[in-house]
Amino acid sequence: MSRLRRALGRAGQYVLVLVAATTLNFLLPHLAPGDPVTYRYGGQTAALTPEQLDEVRASYGLDAGLPEQYWSFWAGLVRGDLGVSIGYSRPVLAVLAERLPWTLALVGVATLLAFGLGTLLGAVAAWRRGSRRDVGIVTGVLALDAMPGFWVGMLLISVFSVELGWFPSYGAAAITADGAAEWVGVAQRMVLPVATLTLASLGSIFLLARASMTSVLDEAFIRLARSKGISERRLAVRHALRNALLPVYTNLTLAVGTLVSGAVVVETVFAYPGIGRMIYEAVIARDYPLLQGAFLLVTVGVLAANLLADLTYPLLDPRVRRSEAVEAREPAR
Amino acid sequence: MTPVLALRGLSVTFRGAGGRVPALVDVDLEVAAGEMVGLVGGSGAGKSTVARAIAGLERPDSGTIALDGADLATLSRRQQRDRRRQLHLVFQDPYTALPPAMRVRRIVAEPLVIHGLAERDRRVHDALAAVHLPPERYLSRYPHQLSGGERQRVAFARALVTEPRLVLADEPTQMLDASLRAELVDLMEELRSGRGVAVLHITHDLALAQRSCDRLVVLRGGRVVEQGPTHAVLARPAHPYTRALIDAARRLHHTA
Amino acid sequence: MTGTRSRRFATAGGVTLVLLITVALAAPLLAPYDPSARVGTPFASPSGAHPLGTNDIGQDLLTTLIFGARISLLVGIVAALAATLVGTSIGVVAGYARGWVDAAVMRLVDVVLALPVLPLTIVIGVFLGPGLSTQILVIASVIWAGTARELRAQVLSVREHDHIQALWAMGGRAGHVLPRHVLPAVAPLVVPQFVLATKTAILLEASLAFLGLGDITAKSWGTMLSLAQARSAFLTDAWLWWVVPPGVAIAVTVLSFALLAYAFEERARPSLADRFGGSPGTADLRSAVPGEPPTSGGDPLVIDELTVAYRDAVAVDRMRLRVAPAELVALVGQSGSGKSTVAAASTGLLPAAARITGGRVLVCGQDVAALGPEQLRSLRGDRVGLIPQEAMSALDPVRTIGDQIAEAVTAHRRMGRAAVRARVGELLSVVSLHPDRARDYPHQLSGGMRQRVVIAIALAAGPELLIADEPTSGLDVLVQAEVLDLLDGLRRRLRLAILVVSHDLPVVERIADRIAVMHAGQLVEIGPAGRIRAEPDHPYTRRLVEATPRLRLPEAASR
Repeated sequence: MSRLRRALGRAGQYVLVLVAATTLNFLLPHLAPGDPVTYRYGGQTAALTPEQLDEVRASYGLDAGLPEQYWSFWAGLVRGDLGVSIGYSRPVLAVLAERLPWTLALVGVATLLAFGLGTLLGAVAAWRRGSRRDVGIVTGVLALDAMPGFWVGMLLISVFSVELGWFPSYGAAAITADGAAEWVGVAQRMVLPVATLTLASLGSIFLLARASMTSVLDEAFIRLARSKGISERRLAVRHALRNALLPVYTNLTLAVGTLVSGAVVVETVFAYPGIGRMIYEAVIARDYPLLQGAFLLVTVGVLAANLLADLTYPLLDPRVRRSEAVEAREPAR
Repeated sequence: MTPVLALRGLSVTFRGAGGRVPALVDVDLEVAAGEMVGLVGGSGAGKSTVARAIAGLERPDSGTIALDGADLATLSRRQQRDRRRQLHLVFQDPYTALPPAMRVRRIVAEPLVIHGLAERDRRVHDALAAVHLPPERYLSRYPHQLSGGERQRVAFARALVTEPRLVLADEPTQMLDASLRAELVDLMEELRSGRGVAVLHITHDLALAQRSCDRLVVLRGGRVVEQGPTHAVLARPAHPYTRALIDAARRLHHTA
Repeated sequence: MTGTRSRRFATAGGVTLVLLITVALAAPLLAPYDPSARVGTPFASPSGAHPLGTNDIGQDLLTTLIFGARISLLVGIVAALAATLVGTSIGVVAGYARGWVDAAVMRLVDVVLALPVLPLTIVIGVFLGPGLSTQILVIASVIWAGTARELRAQVLSVREHDHIQALWAMGGRAGHVLPRHVLPAVAPLVVPQFVLATKTAILLEASLAFLGLGDITAKSWGTMLSLAQARSAFLTDAWLWWVVPPGVAIAVTVLSFALLAYAFEERARPSLADRFGGSPGTADLRSAVPGEPPTSGGDPLVIDELTVAYRDAVAVDRMRLRVAPAELVALVGQSGSGKSTVAAASTGLLPAAARITGGRVLVCGQDVAALGPEQLRSLRGDRVGLIPQEAMSALDPVRTIGDQIAEAVTAHRRMGRAAVRARVGELLSVVSLHPDRARDYPHQLSGGMRQRVVIAIALAAGPELLIADEPTSGLDVLVQAEVLDLLDGLRRRLRLAILVVSHDLPVVERIADRIAVMHAGQLVEIGPAGRIRAEPDHPYTRRLVEATPRLRLPEAASR
């Protein structure tokens, strides 16, 4: 009963975020100073006569009242109609679908790496809190976290592509290659962007994992486990790390948001053909429909990642698996 | 004579992530003027909830809380506040119940500030003297400079400063070392006999309750299972739960 | 240790920040040129006149860098100020009001937090157009939510503090409680929140500027990098003087904020080493130290002239005690008397800050202090079992009971699966739990059952000595007696030597053979339980015994 209510509550939460994001998306052109048509056509409106402008307005349904526009906006969404990209003169959905796989691959790999590496470093640092090793790791990660992701990317290109020539500096696939060579090319071109994205997103996960591990190590059950005479490694992994993972996992939200934000700048630096680079291009070209579509897609993506974390959380925590919900602990960031 | 405190059919439900949990069910309880009543029971019995409901920290689902015969629910907010001045809640843990960054003078004067009462210095002095803490030595100390026993005395001084007619003491000895418990109970007894303050003493320790209480109310699972004069309840417990409590206390206290 | 470290971090961050702000304020004095003037040939390499060279239109890069500090810091600090102000007010109000206000506000906060930050700022930024004030507005409007959430959580926890509840119980209204008690309590947390927000804001500004959404007339470090990217400076040698300096400037600025925030946070969370600072009294009872003659006999626990110190404070002073097989000794004293330190020293589990400065603890004939970590480990569980305080939280919440007992069984012996399972079932029966309980998780058990599981774990490897630190704390009165009876029965059945540490004399005197009384780090008296209770020698013991209320029952009630 109450589990169902809780599940419904979570579902409602997701729907709410989605509706809010979508509405924001709809309203933005209207909030902006000037006429939405100006925004739809970028700087080209000067070339149009007032009559032509009216025609355009009517053709986009912009002469209707706001509620009607909102309604038809939603109707369009349901049909999968996100409008037409100005820069590509193609449906926004089609452009997005083409770009999405690259970003998914990039963000997916970087998420796994950042999560694994961040948690591991956080646990190692917390294990002997206050030791030289801890101070060293914390200082290093804080410094890394302070660097803008795009700048790290630029440096990696300067060093590994320009100076050393180890990896290609842009694109996602070699232009003239097929078969195995094609895959090697794709892998080569992923190394630097994935590394950049991982390094740029490590910080928040690390700090969370370290704080979580620190508080777990204070728990009475750690003392009891140690009194059994088990090895320190077993204690660290099976009891401490296992419990410290829980809040890190529930706060994946923050990490995924950071990663997606990172993807925008990283793809821009590496001219990677994903959604992020496309957002940059859309900004430059003032391609508003494409920008709106991308924002919507990214929001849906982040929500989907959260939903996944939510649904799989009970696998990690027996307390929510069987009985009433225990609010997962969230240490301060 | 109208009792200082009268609970009739008091029920409180907790709403949490796990749904609705009844905390108190149909509790009837009275405390007469100048009387010390012991509210006893195991952990989770709802003892603290009774005190919190009376102090206005929990909202009852049904039932009435009457102070000096006046049902609180029928009073205006202002009148309620004035009535509540007649009672004071002393918490279990003296280490957390006092604001850490304030000196004793301000801590004890707080109820006077809240209720806009005058003659603060005199009242604070009187209250500290009543709990045997020489004011000149304690007024400008911070809680962390006090021992657990001293802190709990400061808490009682704060309770007395508005000269209430009823003190709700929620396991006030629980966090103290065993050797200090009896002292504090004796202090409560002294306040009752000397100042005529009625006390609702919440405790799980039957030996402490026996030492000071006129009557006992036994709570289990949010319900009153038995109540009566202390000696009668201890000598002829009617409810099996009361018998179990007495038995446990006897085993714990090595009393043949 | 941690104190000095967080101070060092704070100093490093603070000094750097002051320097940066000075540079920003004094930019017109420090910069060699006018930032908008074209003073050199385009794409010039570094030279005496232009230490960092020039950009694509011949502006001096060093000048741009120095003036960039103004924009980056301005946007970061103003946006963070606005966000902190809004976030704090909203968080405090939501946390204090609770109910529907809180629900509505937190829904909004959740929505903002769930939206991807950079794409959101980009979309808003694009539609509102470029400009410094737009940038500040956009950044502030996405980062306030984090502060609001944090502050609300803090207010919610402050609300639960007894001293705030006490105010309400006294009739205090929001007008009194909020400004006088709640705000001062959360105020220290606003500073680190602001610092964190500034760090986020500066990085966001850099990203926005890099994507071409900055104000082109007011060049920040991000704008410089954006131009470097657009002119492909990082593909030539120019990366060294055009790309590296602004990035380093951003990183150093953000790092100095991060160090400050980190130092604040560390200060709010003292480490283990700092927590055990409490020193016991120094009353000198030395001349009267009783204790027992050191015996070399085969007693499982022999404590001989043990002295333990936390830094300079002596917590245990020349303690002597021994426990024989099948004997139950109770160690009684007030909090801070050093009794728990004795228990910890006996299992080699002293906190890092504590050191054994004299004497020794022999567990089954082995000097605990002289053992290496590996030898200690093989001693623990196998020869000596520990029952720690806090039964409610002593079990790992994510592992089954059976798993946790099995771990203790196999820590010292290789056994087949079936044998382990049989042993786990047997141990559960020993503590009067059904073997099926092995499949349960701790949260499915009551406090008394959990304490039984903890005892089963302590017994798992068949130790000779059991050390129980306040085994009844946190348990219901009805359960306390059961747990004590269980311990009493075990030492008879298994001939275990048991040391029970307790602050509650009456609780242990029924089952103890002998009682040892500790005060201010010293053993003041030890003797048979009956004698201690009937005729205590030491004045402190006498006070302890006399002050303890006991239940007096009329004949009718006793069985």
